[in-house]
Amino acid sequence: MPSVTNMLRDKNQHGQRRYSAFGLLRKGLSNQPWPRVWREVPLKDSYDVVIIGGGVHGLATAYYLAVNHGITNVAVVDKAYLGSGGSGRNTAIVRSNYLTPEGVAFYDRSLTLYNSMADDLNINVMFSERGHLTLAHNDSSLRTMHWRAEVNKLQDIDSSVIDPAEIKKIVPSLDVTSEARYPILGALYHPPGGIIRHDAVVWGYARAADAYGVEMHQKTEVLDILVEGGEGRDGKGAGGQVTGVMTNRGKISAPIVVNCTAGWASLISDMAGVDLPISTRPLQAAVTEPVKVFLPAVVVSGSLHTYVSQTDRGELVFGAAVDPYNNYSIRGSLEFTEGLAGHVMELMPGISRMKLLRQWAGLCDMTPDYSPIMGATPVEGFLCDVGWGTYGFKAGPVSGEAMAECIATEKMPAIIAAFGLERFAKGDLVGEKGAAAVGH
Amino acid sequence: MSTLSDRLSAQPGEIIDRSSKLRFTWNGKGVTGFAGDTIASALMANNVQVVSRSMKYHRPRGYMTADYWDPNGSVQLASEPNVRSGHRQLQEGMKVSAQNVWPSLDRDVRAVNGVLGRFLTAGFYYKTFMHPRSLWPTYEKVLATFAPGGKVDLDAPSGYFDKRYAHPDVVVAGGGPSGLAAAIDAARAGAKVMLVEHTHHLGGHLLWGSDGDRAVLAQLLTELAEADVEVLVDSTVTGRYEDNWIGISQRSHPGVEERLIKARAKMLVVAGGLIERPYVFEGNDLPGVMMSSAVRRSMAMYAVRPGSRAVVLSANAEGDAAVEALTAAGVEVAAVVDPRNGQDLVRAKGSRRVESVELADGRSVEADLLVIAAGWTSPTSLINMAGDRPSFDDSCGRFFPTDPPETVLVTGGMAGDGTTEEIVEHGRATGDLAARRASTVAHRLQAATTRAQSVDEIEPVWAADSRIALGRWSHPGLYRASTHGIVDYSEDVSSKDLVAAAKEGYDSVELLKRYTTATMGPSQGKLSTVNTVAILGEARGETIAEVGTTVWRPPFAPISLGALGGRKFEPIRVSAMHRWHEANGATPIIAGQWIRPEHYGDPAAEVRKTRSGVGLIDVSPLGKLDLQGADVPKLLNHLYTNTWNKLPIGGVRYGIMCAEDGIVLDDGVTGRLGENHYLMTTTSSGAATVWEWAENWLQTEHPDWDVSVTPVTTAYASMNLAGPKSREVLSSLVDDIDLDPEDFRYMQLRTGRIAGVDNCIMWRIGFTGELSFELHVPAGYGEAVWRSVMEAGAEFGITPFGLEGQRIMRLEKGHFIVGQDTDGLSLAPATGLDALIKLDKPDFAGKPELSWALENYEGPLVVAVQPVDPNVVPGEASQIIDPIDKRILGRITSARYSPTLERSVCLAQVEPQFATAGSRLTIKMIDGSLQEAVVQEHHAHFDPEGERLRG
Repeated sequence: MPSVTNMLRDKNQHGQRRYSAFGLLRKGLSNQPWPRVWREVPLKDSYDVVIIGGGVHGLATAYYLAVNHGITNVAVVDKAYLGSGGSGRNTAIVRSNYLTPEGVAFYDRSLTLYNSMADDLNINVMFSERGHLTLAHNDSSLRTMHWRAEVNKLQDIDSSVIDPAEIKKIVPSLDVTSEARYPILGALYHPPGGIIRHDAVVWGYARAADAYGVEMHQKTEVLDILVEGGEGRDGKGAGGQVTGVMTNRGKISAPIVVNCTAGWASLISDMAGVDLPISTRPLQAAVTEPVKVFLPAVVVSGSLHTYVSQTDRGELVFGAAVDPYNNYSIRGSLEFTEGLAGHVMELMPGISRMKLLRQWAGLCDMTPDYSPIMGATPVEGFLCDVGWGTYGFKAGPVSGEAMAECIATEKMPAIIAAFGLERFAKGDLVGEKGAAAVGH
Repeated sequence: MSTLSDRLSAQPGEIIDRSSKLRFTWNGKGVTGFAGDTIASALMANNVQVVSRSMKYHRPRGYMTADYWDPNGSVQLASEPNVRSGHRQLQEGMKVSAQNVWPSLDRDVRAVNGVLGRFLTAGFYYKTFMHPRSLWPTYEKVLATFAPGGKVDLDAPSGYFDKRYAHPDVVVAGGGPSGLAAAIDAARAGAKVMLVEHTHHLGGHLLWGSDGDRAVLAQLLTELAEADVEVLVDSTVTGRYEDNWIGISQRSHPGVEERLIKARAKMLVVAGGLIERPYVFEGNDLPGVMMSSAVRRSMAMYAVRPGSRAVVLSANAEGDAAVEALTAAGVEVAAVVDPRNGQDLVRAKGSRRVESVELADGRSVEADLLVIAAGWTSPTSLINMAGDRPSFDDSCGRFFPTDPPETVLVTGGMAGDGTTEEIVEHGRATGDLAARRASTVAHRLQAATTRAQSVDEIEPVWAADSRIALGRWSHPGLYRASTHGIVDYSEDVSSKDLVAAAKEGYDSVELLKRYTTATMGPSQGKLSTVNTVAILGEARGETIAEVGTTVWRPPFAPISLGALGGRKFEPIRVSAMHRWHEANGATPIIAGQWIRPEHYGDPAAEVRKTRSGVGLIDVSPLGKLDLQGADVPKLLNHLYTNTWNKLPIGGVRYGIMCAEDGIVLDDGVTGRLGENHYLMTTTSSGAATVWEWAENWLQTEHPDWDVSVTPVTTAYASMNLAGPKSREVLSSLVDDIDLDPEDFRYMQLRTGRIAGVDNCIMWRIGFTGELSFELHVPAGYGEAVWRSVMEAGAEFGITPFGLEGQRIMRLEKGHFIVGQDTDGLSLAPATGLDALIKLDKPDFAGKPELSWALENYEGPLVVAVQPVDPNVVPGEASQIIDPIDKRILGRITSARYSPTLERSVCLAQVEPQFATAGSRLTIKMIDGSLQEAVVQEHHAHFDPEGERLRG
């Protein structure tokens, strides 16, 4: 199987295409432009697969369809620009210290793919394996941290509970004294966790998929999903067969349509007559002005509803829990910034003079068991990779890999077998809620 | 080279106080300024030309806008990073230094990046540092040293910050001529007005205008003084949220470092003025390249001479005024470049400051100052936040509001162009309109509340917008000259970078922004957004309107975390008996908001004394909900999994609650006090959750049910008197309650007088496994009753016991704790209490899931476990594994050494095939060693028949 790196090396009709220090040097000396990161091509009227949603899930699915299964007549359509949804709005934390053995195996695969992504995709996604600390402020959360650590150890995941003195050594800015209102009693320490440049992941998958012939179509909004022979309204719904999508740029025929959206997943699925048990809630985040780097690890506090990391650019990036109500607004609220600031200053009193630069929100599609909905639906040819709640970014690579396999083989791969839509009608909910709901 | 250190002679509008000299340091060197100076004006007066180094190439940078938005003007002020020196007022003794330089501002080693610039195009880091992978952490560390910004002093005291709520009729954002006029006329029309000005001085551009401008300002300030307006200077409207919920950062409140004012304004007037837009050309970031407004402001307000020989690019009247002002101040104007006549410049040259300017006509003019008047950017953030998408007017070269909500009015330069008089008139009309609309909004708000009786029935008419619109003066669209230059100064992004990135495919404004980081730095794109869009348009062959713009997000100006967080108001909850506990040697434990006794020195002794005699524990944090109404049984049936139809008055029943997914949510007992009156108890940690859960069902699904829920957790002090002697202790304290075990039985309640206190509730339950009475007494008498019980118990050897003693005893008895022995994955059948799940009820929370679960439950079960070695106490969370393949079969959820049984006792969750009595388990201890344990027949390690608690 040809690697992306080789593909990119071969394509020298565009000139130097492969990214490297040498390439930068040559381009710098020759003043030659780099070729387009992905091509701008006319929209065709039919494809083998249409993927709705140009985020990390949709693009990874397209990439693995091409590279693992040789399916390249694929269009990824997005109503805005690539990475405009959750992929560009998350706080870019990745980790694998989950609570259940199934959860651990799933996210560990994702972490492995993130780890080798720079090589696989020939783009520096700046994966910063800086360590991930989940703080415990009371004995019950400390007990949960021990639980996670013990499960993780048995799965060979680097994860352990450390005490306040060790925490202080890793993150000197934290207040680990007993004077704090919610003293830090310990933390789950996960050295392989870290942050990554989320946009680069999106662009990397798009560029690599493009090299295999996959087409990316931005500003292409799906207005309807075309289904024939179903039991529902207009021949949609159960028993039907997908025939394509109607977009703002015209009709596209396709025997397979994949919903890889977030925030609007239930509305998109409804276009095919498929009901999803999803409620949508905003998740807010914010960033400060840059200062010299002082925070070397990702710090999460479930009790204080916050997580924080510092980018290599020096900005602190914060997130919180999802808003407590259903909403499609991504405007952000004043209360969120107030609560956030109060909580991070509980952790790090010394940062009171740092200034909040920007706040935003993304939309999270929450399912009843906080687990995703993946694979086939009652409509033949219409597949889903949705319902990722607050942790879709972490799962992007492994989801794409599994969805590609699911599309190519028409079978649910074992790693996502528990995530089928039918589970809600059978009482077979997935249990990662305990860990996934805790935070990042 | 010019000498800039001399101030100009007294200027008519100057605001410095030459009689008050202030000493401060710049990079450790002592310098002076005047009261009224900003740090920037004082530094400029001290001939400081290079104030910072740029982020990536570490190019020398000087003042360009010399105000808050100056991307070059951030300095370190003692322990405070990123201080806007163009905005912060000078104070005696300030320690100011350049930030992000190494080793010093003058000689910055990283300036070598400038030479390598052609290889370090925007986004270069995505294309390199990949090999070898093992070196990336090292690369990353090096990259991180390039992070811009100052240093946070983590040990500095955090300062005093505060918050305030306000309910003005009208908030006016911006104290220039239009904002002043709007505030005055809104107040005259009867509105309660807040006028918020970002800088320290009202007046906007009138402050550095003509004599006529200053006269207008004087007149407005006189009118303002007479009007009833709350004026906030050095304050910023940072955000406009839903329904005119306005955030204001006030930096000028005495004694407070920064205060967040949260205002629910009926109307918002946006009078933000315009920000002068830089022009893109080679050398446009050299020190000595300044905006015309910066030059005029520096001269007029601070009497600072910005240079000695100037070239002025003037595309508008403001640029012409700058030429006039420079000449008047004795600065030689060597050339005026007027794009209105087709003139242009090509590049500015110089090493550490502008030395000459190359013009499009081929001339090269020597100059140390290049003044730019190329047009404006409209800071539309606030109307953006109100949902408006501003539209670009090509003929004026700037954005205008499209269709803001009716409760947001725009005036001043953001609304259009006009003479000073026209601008003031527009402001006045806007203020009047805002006041009239505010009265309608006020009426609507009042009518919408539940106390609406006092509202007039007739709603005031919604005032129509009859303002005479401001004009739109045509202005050349000047974005980039024939050469490339810096577009985003704080991010060091050039027009060349933008064009290259667009050609590479990052060709929508959002992609371009994310890839190059243009507009994402500390100045939030105030100076760079329009030029970024223009250059993208150039690359794509589209107009600015076609390219569109990015969405401005809050805050309008950065706001400190201290102000957002405010004072700490984290509640601490203690029971009515807390003083007693403290006086009697209790060791405290933090349990959420509560602080309660963990033990009084020796928890094992507390257990032994309670088991053999009597003990008393403070259980006040138990959640308590008073339920009243005819439909309470319906609510109970819905929340609990068991049935509640036949609970008699005086009866108490235990139940578990599940969420809709069948996961155990909480448990507790509920007693029936009267015909329609119940008291529900929840776990301590679940008190708030269960209340919200009950209200959620009542308010959304069953508003027709006659049930009132009142949280009374802190209305009662609660204590549990446990042990075989508890009845004897109690008998001397009650007179109207019969304690006879034949009459007052297990799981019953009584109300009456305890230790002389009326209206107490007492019920017999047994979490500890002992005969026990739980007393709920009016909180005000809690300590008195507690003392009485302790006194009465003295002859029986009573002991107080804490949370730890209770945990030991409940574990000996095998009572599980929701959230410890169950978890976020535990379906109700895991508890083994299948008998409490009544599927024959028509509905209850979690029923569908539980129906499936009961049919074929394969999940883990809670069981009692005893290690074979009685002295081994496994750590909680120790995993139970298959010793051969290490598969996880379960885990220890609770473990203690039992003083009663003198051995270790545990509760565990295990897979069902290992849950039968006698099953041998392998425990992987936290230290990795393995221990054998045996599953017990009953959950209860102690008194499985329950003879003691029924006694």
